Amino acid sequence: MVLEATMICIDNSEWMRNGDYAPSRFQAQADAINLICGAKTQSNPENTVGVLTMAGNGVRVLVTPTSDLGKILSCIHGLVVGGEANLTAAIQVAQLALKHRQNKRQQQRIIVFAGSPIKYDNKTLEAIGRKLKKNSVALDVVNFGESDDGKPEKLEALITAVNNNDSSHIVHVPAGQNALSDVLISTPIVTGDGDEGSGFVAAASVAAAGGGGLSGFDFGVDPNVDPELALALRISMEEERARQEAAAKRAAEQAAEQEKVRELASGSRDDTMAEPVSNSTLMVDDKGHNLTSQDDEAALLEQALAMSMDVAKSGTAPVVDTDMSDATVDDQELAYALQMSVQDSARDMSSQSEMSKVLEDQSFVSSILNSLPGVDPNDPSLKDLLASLQGESEPQQKQKEDKPEEDHDD
Amino acid sequence: MSCLHDHSCEDHNCSADWSLHTHIDLSKVSALNEAVAGSVKSVFKPWNRRLDTSEGFLESNDGDPELLVFIPFTSDVKIKSISVVGGSGGTSPSKMRAFINRDGIDFSDAQNMQPVQEWDLNENLQGLLEYQTRYSRFQGVGNLTLHFPDNFGGDTTQIYYIGLKGEATQLKRDVVATIVYEITPNPSDHKTRADAGSLAHVE
Repeated sequence: MVLEATMICIDNSEWMRNGDYAPSRFQAQADAINLICGAKTQSNPENTVGVLTMAGNGVRVLVTPTSDLGKILSCIHGLVVGGEANLTAAIQVAQLALKHRQNKRQQQRIIVFAGSPIKYDNKTLEAIGRKLKKNSVALDVVNFGESDDGKPEKLEALITAVNNNDSSHIVHVPAGQNALSDVLISTPIVTGDGDEGSGFVAAASVAAAGGGGLSGFDFGVDPNVDPELALALRISMEEERARQEAAAKRAAEQAAEQEKVRELASGSRDDTMAEPVSNSTLMVDDKGHNLTSQDDEAALLEQALAMSMDVAKSGTAPVVDTDMSDATVDDQELAYALQMSVQDSARDMSSQSEMSKVLEDQSFVSSILNSLPGVDPNDPSLKDLLASLQGESEPQQKQKEDKPEEDHDD
Repeated sequence: MSCLHDHSCEDHNCSADWSLHTHIDLSKVSALNEAVAGSVKSVFKPWNRRLDTSEGFLESNDGDPELLVFIPFTSDVKIKSISVVGGSGGTSPSKMRAFINRDGIDFSDAQNMQPVQEWDLNENLQGLLEYQTRYSRFQGVGNLTLHFPDNFGGDTTQIYYIGLKGEATQLKRDVVATIVYEITPNPSDHKTRADAGSLAHVE
């Protein structure tokens, strides 16, 4: 949310008639400018943006730095393409416009759209860059359009001369499928330095990239736009996380025991049983933003939970298995192990399913309680209540539930 | 207009004199053409630490000896004299120009404007030289801008310490920020005690 005054230099020279950026270079530029203006004014309400044209009859300031977005957009509206761009004069005029900004506390920034070929040599450009750096003006360059020999290098030299602490950036946009504004959305020119990720950018990037680039908000949904959806997503995420954490702890506990069973048993069945456990640990590591894939894993997770719970309870069972395997043939040991686990699971499944339901509810309840403003989950009376809800669960499990609760504490 | 201390510094507590640095609003101190952003803050410290460079020093960009330092104060001050400790090997500044109570000066402004006072500096590696001001012009200073246009031939200009001697008043020269202007006056907004008891009022 850095306070900034920005001057945007538009290239409206003859080279902008070309259609290699859809619909025309000039139109792509105008869309990109709309995007940048919106992002700047959204990220900090006191930011100001101004616009000038580099070609036409000469460098002309269309609007001095203002925070009124409508004024900025309307003055881009009637622009005509023609003439030749004068980069050095444009930068000097932009610097002057920024010098006379009303709020002296704003940082100064110039954004140049360099579409036409550059006729200046490196020395001149570097001198300009040093002057900008001396007056602590940052410079962003969008290199698109004409790509004659030496243009990218010249612009890189300019940025190196201006750059102070990585505040200046350059983006090269080749002609092709992607629109200019789509390419710019993910660059620091629009998103700003550091981890700004404004809501505007997050929402725009979700729309453009189909949910891929979540820079701002956790679920690609702006809480300002849709608070109920954001809240529901957050609660279900926390519930899932609590479940995964509990499963991970149990999985880690009996991972050592599972290891023994796995390396001795050659049957595929045991491997598949072990896999849901390893899957669940993988899922815990990859606490992804993808809620849909959890549905597929949920069934496996349930299975793993049941398996791990009965292993935790009857800790001697796998030990017995490994002892047996020493004496017997692999297939027989496999069959015996299967029998034992099936018996155990059949016995415990009924009680486990109820308990797991209660557990789920309990973690859900605890996450709800945590999000309530006046409730302190560490309140002893509350803890007693929750403990009674759990019924006959072991103190071990209650400990694990307390840990996820504490993790949720904000 | 420089003078050397004419007493031995063990007897007299020089630190107490150079106390204006405590009235500087350090968070808003800024400099133009500094090589490391924010290094200008290390230049304002107590007098007995004036040669201490452990927290860094102010250096200009390579090949460009100009420096511009903007110093806002937390209350209005009266500045009696200024001391500047520069670097060795020609990196000390050779001239100093001061501007008062002006916001947002940059190099082109500084070069064109007439300063309130300017001095020719000598190399002052021990920090014993001080430059007196025309005191009548330095009353009620809310912020001070120092422009160092040149140095003694070095590639960059280095400044280790800037000391200010003077007095602080408790007044603050504030910009008028929170006044509500009326387009048309509404008498009911301007009740006086005499009106409070009367029966008539205007809606």
